[in-house]
Amino acid sequence: MTDLTSIITDIVQTLADPNIWIRLTLASVLLVILILFSLWQKTSLERKIIWSFFRGLVQIVLLGSILLLIFGIEEIWLLYIILLFMCFFAAYTNWRSYPYPKIFTYNFIAITASVMIIMTFAIFSSAIPNFDGIIYQPNESAGSSFGSFVIPVGSMVIFFAMRESGVALERLKSDLLKSKGEIEAALALGATPNRSIRNLLRDSFRASLVPTINRVAVLGIVTIPGLMSGMIIGGASPIEAAVYQIVVFMMLLTAAFFTSIVTNYLFTKQFFTSEDQINLDFYNIISQKKQGKKK
Amino acid sequence: MNTIEKNHELFKVENVIFKVGETKILNQISVVINSNDITGIIGPSGAGKSTFLRLLNKLISPSEGKILFESKDTKGIPSQKIRKEIGLVQQRPFLFNGTVKENLLYGPKIWNINYSDDELIQLLQKVALGEEFLDKQVEGLSGGEQQRVSLARSLANKPRVILLDEPTSSLDINSEEIIETTLKQLNQEGIKIIIVTHSLEQTERLTESLLFLREGKLIEKISTVNFFSKYNIKEIRSFFKEKGEEEEK
Repeated sequence: MTDLTSIITDIVQTLADPNIWIRLTLASVLLVILILFSLWQKTSLERKIIWSFFRGLVQIVLLGSILLLIFGIEEIWLLYIILLFMCFFAAYTNWRSYPYPKIFTYNFIAITASVMIIMTFAIFSSAIPNFDGIIYQPNESAGSSFGSFVIPVGSMVIFFAMRESGVALERLKSDLLKSKGEIEAALALGATPNRSIRNLLRDSFRASLVPTINRVAVLGIVTIPGLMSGMIIGGASPIEAAVYQIVVFMMLLTAAFFTSIVTNYLFTKQFFTSEDQINLDFYNIISQKKQGKKK
Repeated sequence: MNTIEKNHELFKVENVIFKVGETKILNQISVVINSNDITGIIGPSGAGKSTFLRLLNKLISPSEGKILFESKDTKGIPSQKIRKEIGLVQQRPFLFNGTVKENLLYGPKIWNINYSDDELIQLLQKVALGEEFLDKQVEGLSGGEQQRVSLARSLANKPRVILLDEPTSSLDINSEEIIETTLKQLNQEGIKIIIVTHSLEQTERLTESLLFLREGKLIEKISTVNFFSKYNIKEIRSFFKEKGEEEEK
């Protein structure tokens, strides 16, 4: 296990290397172009772009510094706490982008449930005799502790769950607003609320999952995933890395799907009253948010 | 038996107020609607006519007061059950993506009512549409055709009461006539009909009693015959003059 002093020494040495600064400065030229584009197209995203990159850089540098420590963790309970913290932060980020009532709670429940189920399955699959578990990956610098594969894979699963459930939620919300008349027509014929929005739910799941499914379909031809490349550069056999990548994609898709379903079903509960009518207060709240975003 | 039926209270609306925010869309409405005749609801735009229909079908609930359907408080009846019994044809058709047939079968699938293609064609004929419409995609239909599919879709549910919000507003005279004949036939078969209309002529042809609403208030409940003798034609025209129903908020 790597100790703290050697980590700090390492950071200082790395930051003293001028290459790292030249790299950042040159890449920032791209960021300036991006901001100019944003201004030209009046997307109002400039501040968000700058802030996101700055925040992301600080976070990732900090994480990079303690990553080897985390990778060294053997205690499963501690890993669960770290995952829980990541889920919390993911749900919070989604809620900032989609600030609808109760979305933080619902999304947090959804992400946590799906991530915990999938990661527990992954961790405890190593209980099978003569089998290392579906995501076991010995790592030279951190040894072969649980942390070295639970955290990286867990972070990918959480990120996908966050991103895809956000896409599904936004799609569902705009469809609910657009289709008020059709929903009421269905209700007026005696449909239950769930039945009246069945197609909208289906479309929202499709909107979030189809791009990822397509990405899996073009693996190796259009995209060479970072995880697999990293493993091969790190010395793993290409076949092993490929299988590992596919296993991880299966986990990502399942988590994304499950999170989207739970988040969207909970969200739609608010769209209807107990008398199976459209909840006009809620309708007005989510439609105001839409207008607000347009400005 | 017949007399009992005649005196039968279909809806009893008691002190109903419907508010959106602080605005009273309907203000202190109390009225009894009897079965067996075709009841018209008239009044200028913004009078609350559409809102009134939506209350009867329980798409919305009163802010205050209550509505009894056949002497039972609608609050205690499950919404789905009410909506099966009381069909609502809104002014804008809001058809579902897909074919006319899929639209017609939406309600029957919920309620396990079976239809053969022949029966569906008969249903289309009732709303002045030919059998060739059955497999058409709804996107390609004209406004008037969509309105008729919407009416047929509600009829497919075999409701006992049907609420119509200007069902012939985008139709030509021929189709309007066919729809009116259908409505009269349905009424003779025992289906109760309440219709919002902006047409003076249609009111005269179709309805036997009227609810006259203005600015959210019930001005009066009156038989159609008395209505036309009580007011002079100029006054009546002013009740109907504004075209286009208020949009639901």
